[in-house]
Parts: sequence; C-alpha cells; structure tokens
Amino acid sequence: MTRRSLVVAILLVCSVLSIVAQERSSSYKVPRTRDGQPDLQGYWTNLTYTPFERPKALANKPFYTEQEAIEAFNKAVADAQNQAVHYVNTDFGATPVQTGAKPNRRTSLVIDPADGRVPALTPAAEKREAARIAADRAGGPLARTWRDDRGTVWCVFHDRAVPSIVAPYGSNYHIVQSKDWIVLTYEWNSERRIIPLDGRPHGPSSVRTYAGDARGHWEGDTLVVEATNFSPKRNFFGSNGTFTLVDRFTRVADDTIVHTYTVEDPATWTRPLTVELPMHGIKGPMLEYACNENNEDIFTTLRNARLEEQGKLPPPDRVKNVDDAKTTVLEREEKK
Amino acid sequence: MGVGNWQLGVVVLAAAVLVPVFPRPGEGQAYRAPRTAAGQPDLNGFWQALNTAQWDLEAHEAAPGPVLQLGAAYAVPPGQGVVMDGPIPYRADALAMKKKYAADALREDAEIKCYLPGVPRMMYMPYPVQIVQGDSTIMMMSEFASAIRTIYMNGNDPPPADTWMGWSNGKWDGDTLVIDSKGFMGGTISALDGEGTIHVRFLDRAGNYHTDGLHVVERIRRTGPDHLLYQATIEDPNVYTRPWTISMPLYRRLEPNMQLGEFKCEEFVGDLIFGKYQKGPAR
Repeated sequence: MTRRSLVVAILLVCSVLSIVAQERSSSYKVPRTRDGQPDLQGYWTNLTYTPFERPKALANKPFYTEQEAIEAFNKAVADAQNQAVHYVNTDFGATPVQTGAKPNRRTSLVIDPADGRVPALTPAAEKREAARIAADRAGGPLARTWRDDRGTVWCVFHDRAVPSIVAPYGSNYHIVQSKDWIVLTYEWNSERRIIPLDGRPHGPSSVRTYAGDARGHWEGDTLVVEATNFSPKRNFFGSNGTFTLVDRFTRVADDTIVHTYTVEDPATWTRPLTVELPMHGIKGPMLEYACNENNEDIFTTLRNARLEEQGKLPPPDRVKNVDDAKTTVLEREEKK
Repeated sequence: MGVGNWQLGVVVLAAAVLVPVFPRPGEGQAYRAPRTAAGQPDLNGFWQALNTAQWDLEAHEAAPGPVLQLGAAYAVPPGQGVVMDGPIPYRADALAMKKKYAADALREDAEIKCYLPGVPRMMYMPYPVQIVQGDSTIMMMSEFASAIRTIYMNGNDPPPADTWMGWSNGKWDGDTLVIDSKGFMGGTISALDGEGTIHVRFLDRAGNYHTDGLHVVERIRRTGPDHLLYQATIEDPNVYTRPWTISMPLYRRLEPNMQLGEFKCEEFVGDLIFGKYQKGPAR
C-alpha cells in the first residue's frame, strides 16, 4: 500500500464513523460561550463532494442510504485523485477530502424546491439574463479590463462567500464571538461577515454592498442572520442583488454545524431557494488570502489578451508530461 | 495678565508629551476597565486614531500633497509626531532608501494599491478598527481593504508562513494586552508585474518603512470608557539601529449605529494597476 492510499484509507474510515453525526442527536447539548450563547467558535469547512443542484439521474432521490452515501463519496474522492493535469491535487490540500469533507446523505445541497434545483427564472428575469449574456458575448472572448475576469482571480469580492456556494477548495471558516457580535471569516479572499447581535435595524437601503447588510439573533440554539441591501453588481443565479438572504447556523455536534439558508427574490425566481450545507470542524489556523497582493493572473490574462489581438501570443506553457504531473510529492519522494 | 510665549510653549509641549501618558482625572493608571464574561478587560468596540500618524509618524510641518489637482483636499496636515524616542533610528543606508521611497510614494505605498496595510499601520489609518474579543482569539478588523488581524491568545506558535498582516500572539500583562507580531511580508512577490510591485512596506505616507525583518510588540490598555492607550515597539534590524516606540490614544467611535462599512478598494485601484494592459470598456 502506498502512503497516499494509506492516507486516503484512513480518511475514509474516519468518514464512515462520522457520517451519522450530521443528523442532530436530541441529547446533544450545545456548548455555551461565557456570555451564555451557543458557541459556534472555531474553524470549520463546508467543502463537500455533494453537488449544489441534484443530478437529473437522481431526480426523485433526495437522500442516499448510508451505504450509498459512502460509495458516492469514495467515488468522488477517487475521481478527484485522477484528474490532475494542471494542479497536482494530492499535494496541496486542494481536494475537499484533505481538508475535512465528509459523506452526506443528501444528493444535492439545494433542499428546496423538492427537485433539488435552483427554481425557474420569472419571464422578466429570463429576458434580463439573456440580454446580459448576449452583451457579454458581443464583447468577444478576450478580457478588455480587469472587470471582465470575474472568476476566481477577481479580488474585489468572492461571489461564493455570501450566499455560500461551496468553492472547490479553501471553503473554510473561522468563527469568533463576543456578546454583541459574531465574525465569520471565509478563507477565500478573506471575505468576512461581521454580524451585530444587538437587535439594531438594517442600515439605509441606499447603501448596498457585495456581502449585504447582515443582522443576527439567536432563536434557541440557532443563529439566524438576515441580510439585505446586496449590491446590484452581484449576480446570484440571475438575481442582481435584489435578493434577501436568511442564514441559520445550528451546532448539532462538537464537530458539526448545520448551515441552511433561504434566498428569495420575486423579481428573479418563481419561488424561494433553500440550501443545506454541513460545516465540519477542522484544525486551524486559517491564514490571510491576500488576493490583490498576489494577483499575477489578471496581469497575465490582460497582457496575453493584448498579445493575442496582435497575433503575438507565444505558445501556451503546457504540462509536458501528464503522468509526471499526476504523481504526488510523496510518490516523488519515495522514488528518490 | 497674559502668559509669555515661553510659558505657553512649555504648557503646549507638556500637554503634547504628557496627554498620552497621563490621561485626565478618572482615567489612566487608576482606571479599572469593565470586564468581559471571561474576566478580561473589555476592549470590544470601534476604535480610531485622531492624529496625523498616517501622514508621518514623526513631527512634520504642513505640506502640499503629491497630486496637484487635489490641492488642499490632499495636503499634509501638520503634526507633533507619535514617536516617543525619536527620531526614528534609521541605519544610514536605510535613511537614504527612505528618502528614495518617499519620493516614489505614489508607486511604492501599499495604501495606493489597496494592499493590506500591515502592523502597526492598520491601527492608526483614518479608518475605524473593530475589536471583537473571543476567549482564545481576539479579532481586530479595519475598514480599510477589509484587513483582519487574528490575535492568538496565550499562544507561542511561530508564524506558519509570512503574511501581510503578520502572525500575532497575545497575552494579558495585568490590564494591558501585549501582542507580539512577526512573520511579515516585506514586499510583493518578485514575479508580479512591475505595475503591481512594491519593494518595502510603508508605515505611513511619508515613506517610513520596514522590511520582512519586522517585529512589533504592541501594548494596548483601556484608559477610560472611550479611550485606549496604544503603544507599539518596532524592530527591524534591516532598517533601524534599535527598537523604537510609537504611542497614541485611540478613541471610541460612539455612533449607536456604528459598523464597519464595506470598503473594497481593490475596485478603485484596478484601472490604476492594470491600466496599461487594458483596452476600451469592460466586455
């Protein structure tokens, strides 16, 4: 057995033992902070292999059996090991299983609508989205300004942070509480939600932000966060910041928080959308992301776009040997 | 009967020197800060410097700003300085570099490019700092560039990697929070395009700077309901001949609806940094 497969085997055994913990045991007593509030502090990940929307093949199957969940998880882990072309996923904690993802009996993160998929756009929203996509395509394939590269190298705001859409890696949280505030820092782009718990009203609707204006309160053991005033520069599945978001965080075990959220926007969807994300305890710390300070990608993208326009783009720097790229640092060390 | 100029001078000087050290009656050494539920002095809240340290840590006269069109709006206001044992003890070669960096501030200053402000600069920029005090971790967050400091209480771990905001271990020395920070980045990674590169980290807009040799020890104590005394001892053998210390009060932002706004300044500097590779409107 190679060291890598040993590591994976150990992770799988741990996963089998912990799958049950996602369901809340009625006897679990949520630990309290010294202020007497439910204690959500620590480091958590919502990394998962469960797809956001339910695959069509599983249309009428919202839940796996426990055995099926473990099999689906193992298959996803194995698939992730086998697709290293550019990144060597096994080396850098870049696959969810390395960070702490666990099997999930749900077949999709979307739990409402019942088909596990984002609700249909209203006719007006459909028109709006079609116009936006057409305008985007009309501009051609090449980035003109930094604003065109609204992907993972866009340092202004990480669109997956709020509302939470699990990122492929780095989808980790650090939570710190005081009596009147709770801070959720998200690893990717070091996005942060600093949420008051003191019952204050929302800020003026003329001040709209990427992360939204969040207000929190406790309902029993659950932290409820209501957010509004999102920026019109957001696009969340077709909604341009006109959505409202209600997050609910409940600690159901020492190492698990169940996070559900509901997004509503009558101007965009025919009905609300609800998502459930298990958050698993992980070992800290979580370091700063410093996206802007290291943003080599935008320089490369824009520089190459200009060169391509002039027919001067040098041949891409491709991985020369795919098999070599697939070997891990551990295996390379073993060969030495 | 009026006071003579020299007498007034003494009073002003005494006030300037003594106010941060000996606050008003009812505050200062005798003041006992309210406690958190964990029994620690309560530093929770929004704090902000009200001085010209951001312009120049050392005493300085008023001066025109670096951008002609901004006129008086971006002119340098005068200040008495916040360095306790100044002038800043530069090595001779480092002082020459300071003058060079100062002349090239529009290009070298991380603030211009919306890079993370580092320590201690984050604490006296003209933006509020929110402290959220957990039991084992204290968060200090600036409005500027969404900068975050995580203070690990009672930890002695060395920095796992160099970062822009450094690695901070904290402990209580009586009522004073003592934070030891190291593991700082000195500049941008070398591969970054020249437009994005900076070579050192500025401590203020005047070009006072540090490198990755920085080590900061901060002492923060609540001296009244609405004041913190903030002191930072700054050490960097690449730049200074000895450690030196800044001292200033930080003031509580009292607005009942106070919260950190979203100041995603990356959005305001994209055209500045990437402009030379851009073309026409966004796609």
